Amino acid sequence: MPSTVFRLHPTINFARVGTSDDYYLSPETSAGLPVPGGGDTAGGLPIKRGTDDEPITSDDLRDGDGNLLRQAARFRIYAYPFTPPDAYPAGAGVEVYPGSTLIDGRVVKDVVWTVHLANKKANAYNVVPSEGLRAYADGQVPQLRNSNVYGTVDSPLRLSQLVIDPGPRAIASSAGAGEAVAFDAATVAGYSDRAGGIAQQPDYPKSFPQDSNDRLFAPSGPLDSLGELRTDERGRLLVLPAKGRTAAQYDEYGDPIPLTGDLNNGGWFDDTADGPVSATIRFEDGSVQDAFGAWVVCADPAYAPQIRNVVSVWDDVYDAWVRELELQPEICRGNEFQAGYRPSFSADIYPIFRAAALQRWTANIPELAVKAHRAVESIAATDDPDRTIMSGLAYVRNPNEPDELSVGVPLMPLSLGEAGTDFLAVSKTQYFFLEQWSRNRFDPDGESRLGPGEYLDMASLSNCLGGRYVPGIEVSYPIRQPDLYQTDWRTSGSGPFRPKPKPLDYRSAQRGRPFLSGGWIPLHGITDGLEPGDMTKFMSVPWQTDYNSCSIHQPSINTSGRNTATGNPLTLYWSWPSQRPDAVYPATAVVKGVLPPRVWSIRGPGTLTNDPKSAATFQRALQAVQQWDRIGVVLQGTAITRGDYPPDFFLEAESRLPSEGQSVNVVAQWPFNANPTAHGG
Amino acid sequence: MKLKDDQWNLGHLRRHLQAAAELEAWTIPYYLAAMFSVVDRSSDAYQLIQSVVHQEMLHLQLVANIANSYGYSPVFGPATFPYHGTAIPHLDFALDPDNPTTQFSPYSAEIGPLDERRINAMCLIEYPEWDTGGRPDYHDKVNEYGSIGEFYDALERGARQLKGDIAGGVKQVDMFAAFYRDLPAMTVQGSGTRGLSEVVLLIDVIRDQGEAAKAVDMIAAPFRNTADDSAAQDSHYEKFSMIRRGELPSTYPMRDPSEYTPDDHKRREILMDNFARFTKLLGELFSGKSPAGFDPLMVTIGANVLACWRSGVTPRFS
Repeated sequence: MPSTVFRLHPTINFARVGTSDDYYLSPETSAGLPVPGGGDTAGGLPIKRGTDDEPITSDDLRDGDGNLLRQAARFRIYAYPFTPPDAYPAGAGVEVYPGSTLIDGRVVKDVVWTVHLANKKANAYNVVPSEGLRAYADGQVPQLRNSNVYGTVDSPLRLSQLVIDPGPRAIASSAGAGEAVAFDAATVAGYSDRAGGIAQQPDYPKSFPQDSNDRLFAPSGPLDSLGELRTDERGRLLVLPAKGRTAAQYDEYGDPIPLTGDLNNGGWFDDTADGPVSATIRFEDGSVQDAFGAWVVCADPAYAPQIRNVVSVWDDVYDAWVRELELQPEICRGNEFQAGYRPSFSADIYPIFRAAALQRWTANIPELAVKAHRAVESIAATDDPDRTIMSGLAYVRNPNEPDELSVGVPLMPLSLGEAGTDFLAVSKTQYFFLEQWSRNRFDPDGESRLGPGEYLDMASLSNCLGGRYVPGIEVSYPIRQPDLYQTDWRTSGSGPFRPKPKPLDYRSAQRGRPFLSGGWIPLHGITDGLEPGDMTKFMSVPWQTDYNSCSIHQPSINTSGRNTATGNPLTLYWSWPSQRPDAVYPATAVVKGVLPPRVWSIRGPGTLTNDPKSAATFQRALQAVQQWDRIGVVLQGTAITRGDYPPDFFLEAESRLPSEGQSVNVVAQWPFNANPTAHGG
Repeated sequence: MKLKDDQWNLGHLRRHLQAAAELEAWTIPYYLAAMFSVVDRSSDAYQLIQSVVHQEMLHLQLVANIANSYGYSPVFGPATFPYHGTAIPHLDFALDPDNPTTQFSPYSAEIGPLDERRINAMCLIEYPEWDTGGRPDYHDKVNEYGSIGEFYDALERGARQLKGDIAGGVKQVDMFAAFYRDLPAMTVQGSGTRGLSEVVLLIDVIRDQGEAAKAVDMIAAPFRNTADDSAAQDSHYEKFSMIRRGELPSTYPMRDPSEYTPDDHKRREILMDNFARFTKLLGELFSGKSPAGFDPLMVTIGANVLACWRSGVTPRFS
């Protein structure tokens, strides 16, 4: 008889910073894709607080004072019958919460949730745009950030001064929806005692920047929390992020340390974070059982939640699991794709086509490409691939041909690639699916075989930026590393895609002695799991400077300034077009259903420039840190309340960046070029 | 037969423009097929041919814009695209003083992979006119010119003579401006003398990109592609010569038509069907309409060509 295991879903979920006390919930549908029973509504929209699945509208983006709402990450528990070895997809899983009765008769009484958020960015290694993951190969590591603070990555001095660690927090479902537990200095650390209660740890060595700095430059208010825990009406966990604040040290002259770049700003902190999520289920009969845990990442806001990335984090994670961990041997065995496998058109092929068509809403794609992408999107499962615009995959960059990563037009995707490469390619698994489709070896009728929890795993990751991890928006290149995950899922019952937490014994915490270490890094044979903060530490610090700059670039930004791409080296391409809107259509400028000229998403005072490559950015980094919350959000027309817009429009709403009466950088039709440098490059 | 100045009229000019449109259009499937036959899309050969294909599309647009400014819309049909033997429409290389076919032989006008016969033909088509410094002659029949350069020289002279017939802003198409940021115009918007400046500019673009300002020169800076051409300074002739001087890249294996499967035949027929539709839309585009589906169909044809090659099938357009 199978045993019952409990798993948290999504295995990785994303909270997103905002400036408001209020919040909405993480989306539980997949960006841009049809929503079962959702009519015209495209997936990816966050969910209104207090509801199961009601999507937000433009009215929900900001509070009454104009502050940007935060996105809370919601976690659910699913019960699975388990008989090893397990297989994916399980297609099963039933959600449980307090009051649920299991098949074996047990009744859930309560759930104790534990989350430990930390921010290790200031103690981490530099992001190296030209190297990415390779910077960790052969026993090497990049230079440490804040190298003026003496010591190694594990030195107590660095850990205490540079790591933001409020310790773990726990909340019981029975506490009710009104209860909040903050990741701040004042709240006592707590965690599940695994007997159905919460253990307090008053000696936990919390560390915030103000603990080791007499004063800090805090342009948006004090950085004094990494977020909070709540539960919803059914006792599910909500992890709320912090408010997007930053803090900077002062230099010896009494000035705030300037922001000198996009990625690795010394002396600066932000309040994004990540960490493990666990749940202990207590039953009416007094027994308890732990669920397999999950991970939460608190990251940038979603400025275009329904615009699908051609390569999402899901595509990368799934590819790694398919090829390196034989997730589904029927697809890939011994690193060989199986020629007999028939991908599902709706689940495996259409999402790529749909993503291509959606790019027009956040990037200044020329009209010819818009029309071509529309033809791609309109391909139906019943169409003969040879009769479509995707015949022969003539315009898809082949990830198996490294030289094609330097070839621009007309190969797609035309956005910039990952570290060290010029252009982006779909994942090898995505390409295999496309090849099978183009050979007419696909399932035109196949529906998703994912269970409801498995669907949440996919949806959550599919709403995040993949491919171009330089360093990325939510997570970076390590997300593709197998040793980041619990790989014994077939026998343990954990299910796939579940990050492996490093076991932490909070009872051993001592005041004044840093509890966390430098933590996991890739390619160093570290297999005991991740600590809190081990995902976001690979991101830029502060995140706002990277978000600001990653709009449009020459490909040479990925290759240490040396051009290796075809075409004019000055030609500009998009960095993160689905996730970091570049050129948008403001809803307020649409007249009678006719689209206006595009404008840059970041515009208004402080954005004027004479170089097209920085036309879509704040010209001063400090402005990015202070005004990121004023940027508008691109939503489907039907989700925008002040106007009547069709469902196939995706328009910018609720921008607080004034441009009326201002000189603005005009959005040029692509292709357009950066200004030449003195030496012509 | 040579024409005297007083014999040259609007009918001659329009016939020359129709021929120019046919010749520019003819090169596109021919070059496109050679390009897609190359396996390595990052190779210099592939990239160079691609840049020429894009410019041939531009040239077709420019010729059509000039023609429309003289009140004539070029027409296209199956007869525009003959690919047989060694006959390249409207060109008789034997008329060139140094008959370049002795240098570029063997050559073929048949659709095929990038091989010796194709690259020789490509060089022949773009072969430079050796500047004699004299005034270009008018010919009654378009195939009496020995090179494209000589043909366009005569065309320019004829356009100047009939500048009074130019009416700007008529049925102009502008699809490539963003790729040529330094070029002030790609359409004819002015009439009469002002329009003539634009007409001459467009002819210069075609002539210079094709063969450069007489053989070895780089093409003029304003005429260079500013976006996606790695050798923007080189003429078509120079680009093809570079390919010819090097080792030809690997192409997809070809199969004998007797071995074609039903799927192979299907792929060929799809290409021919789409190209027939495209030919019709092309005429509509250059006669002032905005035919629905033109852009996706243009893109699809390239995909159809590659699908043929990848199956070992030699593409056929009609």
